[in-house]
Amino acid sequence: MSEKLLEVKNLKTSFRIKDDYYAAVDDVSLSVNKNEVLAIVGESGCGKSALAFSIMGLHNRAKIEGNIMFKNQDIANISPAKLNKLRGNNMGMIFQDPLTALNPLMEIGDQIGEALLLHNKDLSKEKRKDKVIQLLTKVGIPRPEHVYEQFPHELSGGMRQRVVIATAIANEPELLIADEPTTALDVTIQSQILDLIKELKDDMDAGIIMITHDLGVVAEMADRVAVMYAGQIVEVSDVYTLFESPLHPYTRSLFNSVPNTAEAQSKLHVIQGIVPSLQKLPREGCRFSARIPWVEESAHEEHPELHEVSPGHFVRCTCYKHFNFPDSSKEEQQHGIS
Amino acid sequence: MWKFSVRRILIMIPQIILLSILIFILAKMMPGDALSGMVDPNVSPERLEELRESLGWNDPWYVQYGDWVGGVVQGDLGQSFRFKMPVSEIVGQRIINTFWLSLATLIFTYLIAIPLGITSGRYNDSLLDQAITSYTYIGFATPLFIFALVMLWVFGFMLGWFPTSGSVSPGLEPGTFEYVMSKIYHLILPAIAMALITTVNTVQYLRSEIIDTKQKDFIITARAKGASESRVYNRHILRNSLLPLAAFFGFEITGLIGGTIFVENIFGYPGMGQLFLESITLRDYSVVTAVTLLFGIAAILGALLSDIILSLVDPRIRIK
Amino acid sequence: MAFLEVEDLKVHFPIKGGIFGRTVDYVRAVDGVSLSLEKGKTYGLVGESGSGKTTTGRAIIGLNKITSGKVTFDGNDISNLKSRSEVRKDVQMIFQDPYSSLNPKKRVIDIVAEPLRNFEKLSKKEEKIRVQELLELVGLSPESILKYPHEFSGGQRQRIGIARAIALKPKLIIADEPVSALDVSVQAQVLNFMQDIQQELDLTYLFIGHDLGVIKHMCDKIGIMYKGRYVEEGTTEEIFNNPQHIYTKRLVAAIPDIDPKRRQEQTQFRQEVKTEYEQSYNDYFDDEGLAYKLQPVTDTHLVALPEKG
Repeated sequence: MSEKLLEVKNLKTSFRIKDDYYAAVDDVSLSVNKNEVLAIVGESGCGKSALAFSIMGLHNRAKIEGNIMFKNQDIANISPAKLNKLRGNNMGMIFQDPLTALNPLMEIGDQIGEALLLHNKDLSKEKRKDKVIQLLTKVGIPRPEHVYEQFPHELSGGMRQRVVIATAIANEPELLIADEPTTALDVTIQSQILDLIKELKDDMDAGIIMITHDLGVVAEMADRVAVMYAGQIVEVSDVYTLFESPLHPYTRSLFNSVPNTAEAQSKLHVIQGIVPSLQKLPREGCRFSARIPWVEESAHEEHPELHEVSPGHFVRCTCYKHFNFPDSSKEEQQHGIS
Repeated sequence: MWKFSVRRILIMIPQIILLSILIFILAKMMPGDALSGMVDPNVSPERLEELRESLGWNDPWYVQYGDWVGGVVQGDLGQSFRFKMPVSEIVGQRIINTFWLSLATLIFTYLIAIPLGITSGRYNDSLLDQAITSYTYIGFATPLFIFALVMLWVFGFMLGWFPTSGSVSPGLEPGTFEYVMSKIYHLILPAIAMALITTVNTVQYLRSEIIDTKQKDFIITARAKGASESRVYNRHILRNSLLPLAAFFGFEITGLIGGTIFVENIFGYPGMGQLFLESITLRDYSVVTAVTLLFGIAAILGALLSDIILSLVDPRIRIK
Repeated sequence: MAFLEVEDLKVHFPIKGGIFGRTVDYVRAVDGVSLSLEKGKTYGLVGESGSGKTTTGRAIIGLNKITSGKVTFDGNDISNLKSRSEVRKDVQMIFQDPYSSLNPKKRVIDIVAEPLRNFEKLSKKEEKIRVQELLELVGLSPESILKYPHEFSGGQRQRIGIARAIALKPKLIIADEPVSALDVSVQAQVLNFMQDIQQELDLTYLFIGHDLGVIKHMCDKIGIMYKGRYVEEGTTEEIFNNPQHIYTKRLVAAIPDIDPKRRQEQTQFRQEVKTEYEQSYNDYFDDEGLAYKLQPVTDTHLVALPEKG
């Protein structure tokens, strides 16, 4: 049994819109072990990024409820000073868009060096520079001495993402959160970056949370997968089980809407309706029920729970037992939007 | 870097030539000349015509323009009809006064703008921010000449804290400590009056820059590195927000030129602005032309300066 | 003759430099591209950022100035502005970002009717009916004509963009990464829909994209671009199952495999391709790192290889 690094318990992250709070992450529990990649999959608005930001404590004005246990310490609502000791040191984050994630007016060396400086005040300037050069080499940047003095706009997208990664791993964090790290990149660069993350994981024995919407990336990277819809986890499992026998209607719908898996030129599956906005999220019953209206109401639970269907494989609500894709009646697919 | 600066300076040359032609043509279009009103009425029109001829005033405009420019380049701005002395000499005294006034105003402008803009931007939508924003709106709405008059009346006449005219107390020996202090003393009120109004642009600009920068992704990166709130502000937000102010510097100078014309007249401060208005009312055209030319060149130089500063400090447009 | 024929298309952008800002060099964004589209088919133009695929599409429709080359559409030369006006309504474009390509201050009716107003003189009433028909066709409720773009989701916005593009019953649509900004389920809607109207209206697509999964799903024929030039062209089958150029191989190998059980093989395969890429780079690219001219492998399959001998 590997060591538990992070355990999130009943996390609820709510944002204030006008006078009310709306939960973007609603009662999410999950855990990450050392040397494990947990992928969190879902479409925009499902709360996956809000979840990542909550773990890193990066929400400025959100209400956080529940526990985030990092190495047996609850970091959900700790003081900024304590949090800052962990961030960048024990936990690192990789962002989606490497151009905007870097300060345009700061040299690359200073940006990576800042992460070192903040957590190791005794390191001399020269040693810090040496370390930054080492990091740049480690993430596969050619001519690190030269890049050290360059500015973000002088680098290509792939190189910038390597810099972002170098910053995140500067202090060899135990937990690395990657928020759509390859979405903004070309496919050949994507495979290089994914390889790099894999390598670093083995190197540092780190736990990784990989936020993505790309099932291909999940298949390549993840050990375990959590599928999120409307602020909740609807299915969790190890990656092999999930890809072989996905159960939740949302998971299955996602798989069927990706062109990769479908037979060429055949119709893709379209999920009816649209992802509801934060204010309009259904808070009662099965949150996905509105998008599979042909499934009888009695199939859903009143208060959908996660059920363990096989060891380590959890599915929310009972509707998966009664779910079938409607026979490809054209009407259904063509006018997905009502 | 030098390439950019050289190109930027080369662009300035046609700007200045165009400016000088414009000023010259406007000056020529003004009714009458120095001889039409100032000379003894007993002189016969024939004699006047001869004089005009000998002064070259009947030559084609481009010849006259050439003569004028030739003189300007050598520092000869013509002769003032009012003071009966070379314009360059009159301007020489005044320009130094105006320079000090402008510098003091600039210092006050930034002394006010930077703390207010930072506070307002950092704590946006707080009560403090609302107070500062209200001040900027009032500043936008208040005409400088009225505000300056009120300041003069309150602090100069009613409270008597500051002198009400001049640039230095009479009877002091130039170069002594008292002389310098008196110079500064005379500067303060007009500079503050002007700065309080002109700074509102800068406050608003800085405020919106900070609010903009606060929401950038790299700020989140900095927090994720474990940087404290104060470090995030000092190292990332402030630096990135102050930089665009450099680009604003050129406008600042143009604004100052307009400002000095009002303020110097109201505070009776012997500078270029006061000279400018006086010369207009007395139709001392050669002085008006010279002062306009100098104001124009100052504005062009201001723009040049902000471009060069910006290219020095912003790596994205820095040219190596 | 093919429906759309592009011959040796070049689009060069000048680089200004020196003290006087003279043109010192050119960016060869598109450097000798030839392609031909069959009516009713979908042609995929693939490449990574900076490959010139978008510039090619924009040059065909006239949004970028053509430096040299010839574009023939339905028998008409549309390489220069004058001759293009006649076929302008027959060629339309769908843009990448449904969030920024629609004017946020305009109502849906004004957005969709804009091309109609330019080309057809309709009364207000006729125009409204046409717009409602179009919205119905793209699967949006006809009542939504008075709404603004922000009231729609991403997929719905892209449908509005499509409604605008098909308003004049075009024959050719250039779709520049039409689904890159969308979530997978919304992407599925848009792709299905594009296929439906293709059959309904007998449309021809030039589909520009970087997502090979989407390209494979949509296209009959594919061209791969790299640094402004073609490296390979062929049927979907040929490109995916029998890639010849090392760059294409690398691109295909980089696609994530949806089966987690094949991870090992995938990694190994990628490693092999990487090694091959590094070893044979000089065989496939010239001294400047550019692709050679295309040589036929089969009737439909062309690969950029150095001339023999």
